[in-house]
Amino acid sequence: MRYLLWLLIISLMVFICAPLPSLGLEDTAARSTACLDCHDSEMMEPAFRDIPADWKKSWHFQNNVSCHDCHGGDPTDAAMAMSPERGFAGKPEYSGVPEFCGKCHIGILKNYLESGHGKALKASQSGPNCVTCHGSHGIQKANINIIDEKRCSQCHTYERAKAMKQALFATEKKIRDVRDSLRELKAAGVFTEEEEKTIFNTEAEFRTLFHSVDVSLIKDRSDGFVKKLEQIEAREKSVFRELEFRKNFSAFLMLVFIGLGAVIFLLSKT
Amino acid sequence: MTGKIKNWLEIRIGLDELIRTQLTQYMVPRGINIFYTLGIVALAAFISQVVTGFFLLIYYIPDTEHAFGSVQDIMSEVPFGWLFRLMHAVGSNLMVAVVMLHMLSVFFMGSYKKPREMTWISGAFMLLMTLTFCLSGYLLPWSQLSYWATTIVTSIPTAFPYAGEFITRMMRGGETVSGITLNRFFALHVTLLPMLLILFIGIHLFLVRRIGISAPPFDKVAEKKKLWIAFRHEDHPDGHAFYPYFVQKEMYVLMAYFALMFFIISFLPTLFFPEDANTPADQFKTPAHIKPEWYFLAAYQMLKLIPNKLLGVSIQVALTVVFVLWPFFDTKEEENILKRPLLLFVFVLSLITWVGLTIWGQYS
Repeated sequence: MRYLLWLLIISLMVFICAPLPSLGLEDTAARSTACLDCHDSEMMEPAFRDIPADWKKSWHFQNNVSCHDCHGGDPTDAAMAMSPERGFAGKPEYSGVPEFCGKCHIGILKNYLESGHGKALKASQSGPNCVTCHGSHGIQKANINIIDEKRCSQCHTYERAKAMKQALFATEKKIRDVRDSLRELKAAGVFTEEEEKTIFNTEAEFRTLFHSVDVSLIKDRSDGFVKKLEQIEAREKSVFRELEFRKNFSAFLMLVFIGLGAVIFLLSKT
Repeated sequence: MTGKIKNWLEIRIGLDELIRTQLTQYMVPRGINIFYTLGIVALAAFISQVVTGFFLLIYYIPDTEHAFGSVQDIMSEVPFGWLFRLMHAVGSNLMVAVVMLHMLSVFFMGSYKKPREMTWISGAFMLLMTLTFCLSGYLLPWSQLSYWATTIVTSIPTAFPYAGEFITRMMRGGETVSGITLNRFFALHVTLLPMLLILFIGIHLFLVRRIGISAPPFDKVAEKKKLWIAFRHEDHPDGHAFYPYFVQKEMYVLMAYFALMFFIISFLPTLFFPEDANTPADQFKTPAHIKPEWYFLAAYQMLKLIPNKLLGVSIQVALTVVFVLWPFFDTKEEENILKRPLLLFVFVLSLITWVGLTIWGQYS
């Protein structure tokens, strides 16, 4: 018996004092790719070395968009990672940036090419492209604050951009409110995939409209977006009401059991 | 009418005698406390799981394409489906807590000693079965959390040379967690485990009634210290009547159990549902921080700390064997743990270590 107790104590001490890490049970770290390995290494040109760090702070990173999704190539094979045979496209020319980003952002590309910005780029090869406003590897989630005097005044006066920002403001605020409520519902354990998809599509369509830089078109179509958002908002409100009902109903059941407990307690005293 | 039914039963099963011998004249020891009611609370918790599980089973679809959606339908479309699901999920956690507390109190009271070794072993097996219930039920919603937690847990046997890979493949039904794993866990959860647990509950209750309820060791009279050299039922002629005294105590604690369950459902509904529990399983997307449920956190943290996986798993298996067979390791007659400082030290140290590892596992 004594030996067994010592065995038990020693076993417990082993895992209390055992040195660090780990079993590799947590297969959870972001997966490395050939692109990240090279760009992170000391051998990389300093100008390209910050790219992984910028990307890891980006909206693309948060949405699992990796290097090869834009630049092509094979991230699993260091030797062939930059081979054209594996679809490596490299860095686009300045005037080719819209088509480069437009591989994914199809609707936005169309509106951009038809806009003053797109036409200017086509005509002079030096008008604003996607990177001018959004940046590249460190790209953040777009919002209307991208339209600001400092940025827009690089090329033209701010008046027209300001009018457009005002036209977008109400819808943008609605999107933000609906998203905040969705986040709240998600935190409360409600599955919101369908609503998230709807709002994602509505927002994407709305963002597409930005790129037309056409104030009157934006004003005309804003009502449609607001109506869609109000439908989601109505659904959110009904889910909030349902959650409130659930809370009250289970609190009522709790009180029933507390009451029954009190009755039994009083009975036991008689 | 009631009298007629009573008379009908009296003639057929001797109802009066049954009530007299099993309830009103069946005596429980003096000094019995609320910890003695945890067994019946665990039984009630299991019945609650069976009832709520039955309703979930009506709407749940054990298929990778539909499992997550069917659980969401239960939560949002089925009238009061949310209540049954939350009662089932919260109830499973509370049931583990109650069974653990029951085992702890039995250990502390020394009630596992001769002649109750089989009662302890059947109880220990029921705790292990309860944990297996939780593990198998965890996968069924087919969420990111359930998928990856199961991936981690089913990889543990690979620590063993030769047979490890085979055990993991057998549990998963292939190399990775898939629809086959879901079907296996589902079958285990709704058929084999309930049958086994009911069998063990029967054995456990039979043993408790056959041997008699053990009196708390702290104020035992000399009579209790008679040597067990032949079978005898432990009577408590100076004790309290099982009914109404002990039944009232049991009912009181049962009400507290369900009040606690509805408190959690009402005010902490997401306590056992982190965000990944609300995201459909995606085998190509590993979530950032997957952790097992609280009752596995100590074991999980221990495995993380021990550098050698085989050593870690072996220690856990050894500790489990020691736990199940504890009455055969501790054969001293003294039941009062307060008179056995070394045992008390091991008990407290084990408890502190378990709690410490659980907290460490949660925040590491």
